[in-house]
Amino acid sequence: MSEDQDKYIAEVVEKALRGDMDAINNIEDRVTRSKAKAALIKAKRLSKTAAAEAAPAEETAQTDTTPTEKSLNQKVAESLEKKFSGSIDSEDVNEHIQLNGKNWFEIAQYLKDNPDLLFDSLQCITGFDFGEGEALEVRYNLHSMTHYHAIEIRIKTDRNDPKVPSVEQVWRIGDWFERETYDMYGIVFEGHHNMTRILCPEDWEGWPLRKDYETQETYHGIIVPKVKEGWE
Amino acid sequence: MGILENKFQDNVVVASLDKLLGWARSTSPWFFQFGLACCAIEMMATAASRYDLMRIGMIPRSSPRQADVMIVAGTVTMKMSLRVKKLYEQMANPKYVIAMGSCATSGGPYWQYGYHVLKGVDLVVPVDVYVPGCPPRPEALIEGLLKLQEKIQAERPLTKKIA
Repeated sequence: MSEDQDKYIAEVVEKALRGDMDAINNIEDRVTRSKAKAALIKAKRLSKTAAAEAAPAEETAQTDTTPTEKSLNQKVAESLEKKFSGSIDSEDVNEHIQLNGKNWFEIAQYLKDNPDLLFDSLQCITGFDFGEGEALEVRYNLHSMTHYHAIEIRIKTDRNDPKVPSVEQVWRIGDWFERETYDMYGIVFEGHHNMTRILCPEDWEGWPLRKDYETQETYHGIIVPKVKEGWE
Repeated sequence: MGILENKFQDNVVVASLDKLLGWARSTSPWFFQFGLACCAIEMMATAASRYDLMRIGMIPRSSPRQADVMIVAGTVTMKMSLRVKKLYEQMANPKYVIAMGSCATSGGPYWQYGYHVLKGVDLVVPVDVYVPGCPPRPEALIEGLLKLQEKIQAERPLTKKIA
């Protein structure tokens, strides 16, 4: 049975590959028919991978000859350097752009209004604490609804006197983002119209997400840290 | 009711005033809905048609002045704790508190490191019944409510005053 069947299946698959599916569909025995179909799929897959292996070799050959295109980050960094010289802190702009906070409000307006960039959406503001004695940082994630591109801006600030210009007037959503960052890290955004806590109570002590934060003992006479020792 | 029982016609009931008051209070404890987190969903489910809290005489109220029972359903943050206390003080006597779920009983998942969470609502207001669970199923909440009804029924408000 098996050798004859194998030969028969191979024949039918060859026919089907040439476009004659009826050769398989007309097989009367169900087992043989399903085996033939499986063999056909296998054959097709083999030919596909062979083609795919051949293709990328050509592509790499092409990219080697053409000059590498500038990434968005490099483009943005260059245009910023041209317009606001001395505002970029770090040479490495592959993943994010490190600014020093100087002219940040004007830079934000430029990023939003420049027709090539059009970062009209501020997606997130994150605070960051590098630990004891180190700096605090603010990170902005910008996205353009027109060009579908995104960048990350980082601004470092001093731990003992953390101040960053507010961009609330540029992106309205920045209002609450900045208040939250202020609430958790104590970073003051200069020029914000209402720089108060947003989540914690207004008379809360300390900045909860800083690494050296210690919870206060009582709040209006209510004990804050865990008290019911025997419960664990 | 001892010697007086079955001495009158069918439509006359004899009871001590204490017990009568207990019965009346326990069978219509309107509750102050206090949905603070995911427990609120279970509390809503309990009050909705499938579990139907109305059959044990409970109606959700949005004002502390119309409520007898406060169901604290969810995580009480430090910011909220002052409000919880204030709302409890606005309720009319007699008033009861049910701490629903792990957060309200002990702080729940914020138990050790949650700087902003009150470690149990009993630090602020006196709690009558604790309902464990995260969140508790409606059956568990109903069990807690029935326990509270038992507790109310066992009270002797008039006797207490004389003693």
